[in-house]
Amino acid sequence: MEIILSIILVFMILGAIYALYARDLLSALISCGIVGYGLVICFLLLQAPDLAIVQIVVETITLLIMIAVVLDSSREELKEKKVVGTKLSHFRKWYVMNVILVIVCLVVLLYFFKEVTSTLDPLGKHLTRMSTAYIENAAEKTGSANLVTGVLFDFRGYDTLGEATILFTAVIGVLAILRAKGKKTNNL
Amino acid sequence: MNSLIPLFIILPLATAISIILFGRLVKAFQKALPSAVLLFLTGLSFYFILSWDSGIYKYVIGGRGPVGNIPISIYFVLDGLSILMLCIINLIGFLSGFYAISYIKKYTGENKFYALFCLMITGMNGVVLSGDIFNLYVFLEIAAISSYALVAFEVEKEKLEASYKYQVLGCLSSFFILLNIGLLYWYTKSLNIADISRIIESSANKNLIIFIQILFIAGFGLKAALIPFHAWLPDAHSSAPSPISSMLSGVLIKAIGIYAIIRLFFNMFDITYEIALLITVIGTLSMVIGVLLAIGQWDMKRLLAYHSISQMGYVIIGVGIGMLILAKGGNRSWAALSIAGGLFHLTNHAVFKGLLFLNAGAVEYTTGTRNLKELGGLSGSMPVTSSTSLSASMAISGIPPFNGFFSKLIIIIAAAKAQYYLLTFLAISVSIITLASFLKLQKKTFYGKSKNRKLKKIKEVPFTMCFSMIVLAVLCIALSLLLIPGIRETIMVNVVYTLINKSNYLLILSDI
Amino acid sequence: MTVYLLCFVLFLVGLFGVLTKRNIIKIAIGLIIMELSLFMFFALIGYVDNGIAPIIVQEMEKAKFVDPLPQAIVLTAIVIGLATTSMLMAIAIRLYKKYNTFDIRKIANLKG
Repeated sequence: MEIILSIILVFMILGAIYALYARDLLSALISCGIVGYGLVICFLLLQAPDLAIVQIVVETITLLIMIAVVLDSSREELKEKKVVGTKLSHFRKWYVMNVILVIVCLVVLLYFFKEVTSTLDPLGKHLTRMSTAYIENAAEKTGSANLVTGVLFDFRGYDTLGEATILFTAVIGVLAILRAKGKKTNNL
Repeated sequence: MNSLIPLFIILPLATAISIILFGRLVKAFQKALPSAVLLFLTGLSFYFILSWDSGIYKYVIGGRGPVGNIPISIYFVLDGLSILMLCIINLIGFLSGFYAISYIKKYTGENKFYALFCLMITGMNGVVLSGDIFNLYVFLEIAAISSYALVAFEVEKEKLEASYKYQVLGCLSSFFILLNIGLLYWYTKSLNIADISRIIESSANKNLIIFIQILFIAGFGLKAALIPFHAWLPDAHSSAPSPISSMLSGVLIKAIGIYAIIRLFFNMFDITYEIALLITVIGTLSMVIGVLLAIGQWDMKRLLAYHSISQMGYVIIGVGIGMLILAKGGNRSWAALSIAGGLFHLTNHAVFKGLLFLNAGAVEYTTGTRNLKELGGLSGSMPVTSSTSLSASMAISGIPPFNGFFSKLIIIIAAAKAQYYLLTFLAISVSIITLASFLKLQKKTFYGKSKNRKLKKIKEVPFTMCFSMIVLAVLCIALSLLLIPGIRETIMVNVVYTLINKSNYLLILSDI
Repeated sequence: MTVYLLCFVLFLVGLFGVLTKRNIIKIAIGLIIMELSLFMFFALIGYVDNGIAPIIVQEMEKAKFVDPLPQAIVLTAIVIGLATTSMLMAIAIRLYKKYNTFDIRKIANLKG
């Protein structure tokens, strides 16, 4: 199990790196889809069919929104200027130093993560605490055969209310941002 | 009394939904309803704070009690700190909502404004009341997403750019918090804050706990705009419409940033010396760098936004000194004094910074500009605005008898008693620089002569805006009464009680 | 444990994209990649060896189920991620119409 998951994760990482460095924005979005749909396969392997269904739907909606935005505006990645001059090479040297500093910080973060999680439970050896009460007697208490539905709508139904409110907020927020005009034109 | 707690979430949410559904039918409905609901909630929170008996209240959602001593439902937990935050959120929310009745007349899409405003209040109330760490994250996202939309409410170039920077940094901090929730669940297999604190207490994995604490400081520090995570604050707070600026700077950075840090570091983790030192250092840097960056500003709201960073530094110093004293095992009553000073300063800052942003909005409403170089001589034609602005400026600079003086005094005394003389010196000098900066603001805006011809024919702002400003100015003086011994016992002592005594928070697990 | 490390490497690739890229759409893609890696992380935490999906079908004795709680967390987080991405895209398209470019170095009117 670990080997298959590792191979799929390596493909996802390669897709993510290509998505960040593609010249054409539409290719970048399709690579972003590699990461998303690879995640669907991983969810199926990790015995989570509900998550796989939701992830397919949401990933498709996200890609549609982003493709609509990209096609409506500009498809190309920003061009690097090829002009050679002292001002530009100073800027470019600063940019390269920035990238190297970021990479060093991220490698340090990865090292700390490895150190810190080396003592935790490895993959698959998970002992449940709150979930033992969810798994036993869940069918009588909640009346549903799908345990994830029981958790989402009965034991932790308040979080689902919060999630529905977030969707509502996002809809109103997007409608507010996409208005044509902000302030009324002044004729008072 | 326990069953009144869900009203804080249900009422603003129902208001937001009904404004969207019925807002077109009755025009006056959408303006009056948020103010009425928030006034009721303010009254309810004052009722809670006055009838307090230093216990801890909890409300189990769904009524499913713990199974085998492990909690399985989401709890609402109400203790002294949550009551104080609820009072601040609902009071400043009511006054800003009332102010917005006239201010938003100049904008289109009014019913979306009121709906997003009520949703932001719902999110903040939910964060403050939550006893479960993933629930805190969900409601934090509600407050944050509605504030992203509100910052960009006037869809002009600079507002959209400010909202974009705010959104990217806000998303980044939310991902750090979610990563932490994952690591905590991996280690402790539980999501309830009291349950996690029980398990961490008897643990041996110190490195993991330090890693999680540092990532929490990064995540919540980005939400609270501490140095070095402050890059989004000046743009976002100066580009929002003024009632939203006063809500953002007065309440949001406290409810989702500083409240979360205080709650998790006092009640969930054990206090260690290194983390307390890190928090105090971040607070000192925020205090000093914030005021130094504010000196050279000529835009009124940007100046106020930089001062917010500096005053948040005061609050973090108050809390940090308390943590340092507790970590070294010193005198607990000095720690309680320091934390009470920090929280008192948080309350005062909500009041006077809210008032300052409302004043800046009033000036912009009548004159149309925020640039200090073009304003001047407004005190004759705008008496209410200039007098309330004068009282707020004196409060923030720490001049007696306004409330800012007393809260800064408590923090400075606590720092001196704990023998951190460098902090005392820095706190006093930052206060003097703040005074200088606000004297400049007052002189350039309200006194002196103006060379601008358009400023000759302005009049005072409408009634609803004046009302909010006058109430806040009266509160600036009235809050210093919180130090009188009788009132101090009922309010301030209860606020820090559960923070100092961690075992008090664990009582929520033992009741049925 | 290599699976967890690879998951964190995907998170860091997304973080690198957010911190160093200049195009608004690339920054948004970086944020989406970070979010997807966190969903993977939660799903990995809940996995039990030889467990089955947490759905009760008819007669079964004590079968080992996979933990349902991280799955509920991921379901909520997926929806939150959709909301955030859609707001980011709304701002991006309005910014393009106003400034006519996606470059964040040119969209820098607010200074100081």
